[in-house]
Amino acid sequence: MRFFDWIWHIRGTLALAPGMSGKEAFDRLDPLFDAQGTSYERNAETLTFTKKDQAAQDRMSIFDGGIMWVETGETQPVLRYALKSRALLACFLAPLVFLAFAQFAVAVNMLHDGGSNADRSSERSADVAEEEDEEQVVELHPIDKFLGAPEPKQPDDEEEDASDASGREGTEEEAEEEEDRKHSPTPAYVFAGIFAVIYLVGRLLEDRLIKRRFRRLLEEEPVAATAD
Amino acid sequence: MNGTRVGNRMIGTQAPVIIGWDNIGRVQGGPIKRFVFSWFQPVVLFSLIGFWYYAPNDIAVASTAFAIGIGFRVLMLALEWVSPRYESWTLTWKEFATDLFYVSLGYTILRMVDSYIGSDVIIDGILSQFNWDTFAWFTGLPLLLQAFLIVFIFDFVQYWMHRGMHVWHPLWLPHAVHHYITQFNINKGAVGNPVELFLIGLGIGGFFDFVPRAFLLAGALRLGVGIYMHTNVRFNTPLWWRYIFNTTEHHSVHHSQDFEASRSNYAGIFIFIDRMFGTCVDGEAEELGMEGGRRMSIREQMAYPFTEGWKSIKKYIGKPAPNVPAE
Repeated sequence: MRFFDWIWHIRGTLALAPGMSGKEAFDRLDPLFDAQGTSYERNAETLTFTKKDQAAQDRMSIFDGGIMWVETGETQPVLRYALKSRALLACFLAPLVFLAFAQFAVAVNMLHDGGSNADRSSERSADVAEEEDEEQVVELHPIDKFLGAPEPKQPDDEEEDASDASGREGTEEEAEEEEDRKHSPTPAYVFAGIFAVIYLVGRLLEDRLIKRRFRRLLEEEPVAATAD
Repeated sequence: MNGTRVGNRMIGTQAPVIIGWDNIGRVQGGPIKRFVFSWFQPVVLFSLIGFWYYAPNDIAVASTAFAIGIGFRVLMLALEWVSPRYESWTLTWKEFATDLFYVSLGYTILRMVDSYIGSDVIIDGILSQFNWDTFAWFTGLPLLLQAFLIVFIFDFVQYWMHRGMHVWHPLWLPHAVHHYITQFNINKGAVGNPVELFLIGLGIGGFFDFVPRAFLLAGALRLGVGIYMHTNVRFNTPLWWRYIFNTTEHHSVHHSQDFEASRSNYAGIFIFIDRMFGTCVDGEAEELGMEGGRRMSIREQMAYPFTEGWKSIKKYIGKPAPNVPAE
């Protein structure tokens, strides 16, 4: 488990000031656990916590639970922590979900292709013929002509474009229509890549951020209680 | 909390809501920053309209609109750091990843599903079933009027859909999930249960014919106005804009933890639709969400309409029959 649980676990060690006790260290870290949806237990040397529905601005929002303990080091005490994050795990798995969506799109396209190609091609040529009959020349409104808006493409222009490009009238257009009908797997591949990057950024960033937060609190001078 | 009377309603009795424009925060910083964030919205909107109005046919295509849309979102992400509206809405890694998950669902699996059961498919089915033609009345109108009509028709239908979601329990269940967001960021508009994401995509635009450039202009209008709804960017938005268009301010009131405030500002783009029907509340709220700002996990967001729906059905079935007095 230790070989791969680093995916959603963040572990670390911080040296405490010489002579600092576990109680004093946890007192200083207390503000982090005084948050909505957080429950924690502590004794002299150990603190365990769990979080549920933690607020977005909770400074430990990515963690759902963890344990912290103080050990006696060689020269000074050290704080060790092991925190777990479902958000990191979900983000690590997200690329797989989107790769599955991409494969699903490919499978659906294959299913469509393998279906009734012949039926659809005859249906399509009927549709195209019908559309050609119906296609009308679109005139710009005089206001738009006056303001200089470009004239819309007319059916004749589109036909010319198609025949210029392919030498065979309509073939390219039909191919484009066929492409439009298909579900593109590209967005799913792109998002799989994006989530892989987001995971790496999060794994590194949150590790550093939590360490910095712990260090700051542990190094800060405790606020002295003021008597009114 | 005392709240403020707006018409015959008391707004802000459960959570703080600023009513009116007098006490809304202003952009902080030097004169250049204040200048940029005062003029940004109108300049961008008119630039987008100008671009799509005059772009040559080869450039005025959907892929260009797609690229502009992505670029604009990235720019807004940057602006959230430059001029945040509230520190309490700061984007974190977890919020970004969660929001992007919903955005990516919209571009992948939900788009596929929509191609089979979306409103365009339904309308195509209706048209072919009854051998109807689309209404071609609008193609001869000026381009900008066509673009306005495309946006207005969709927004008008969605106003009533959205209002229905807030007053009818079966529609509220899928929509409630979106109201559990506790802060605004650029991608928060995508957060919601897939059932709701399907419902808010329904429109009747497919019954009408418009020229392709009008659709691109309509997209520019939707982008240039709608993108700000869920952003954490402080602008000094002009008063005329606030009178016509939906703003972050209006939408934050709609997302307020205050129940009465949340039953306002239903329109997506044109806030004047809310003004027409008396549901507009001008103002701003910082504390957003439900149940005192409880953040909902993705798992709960996916299951919520079904689990809560099941509970409601059981409650309804198990309700004792009313005592009818004998005649």
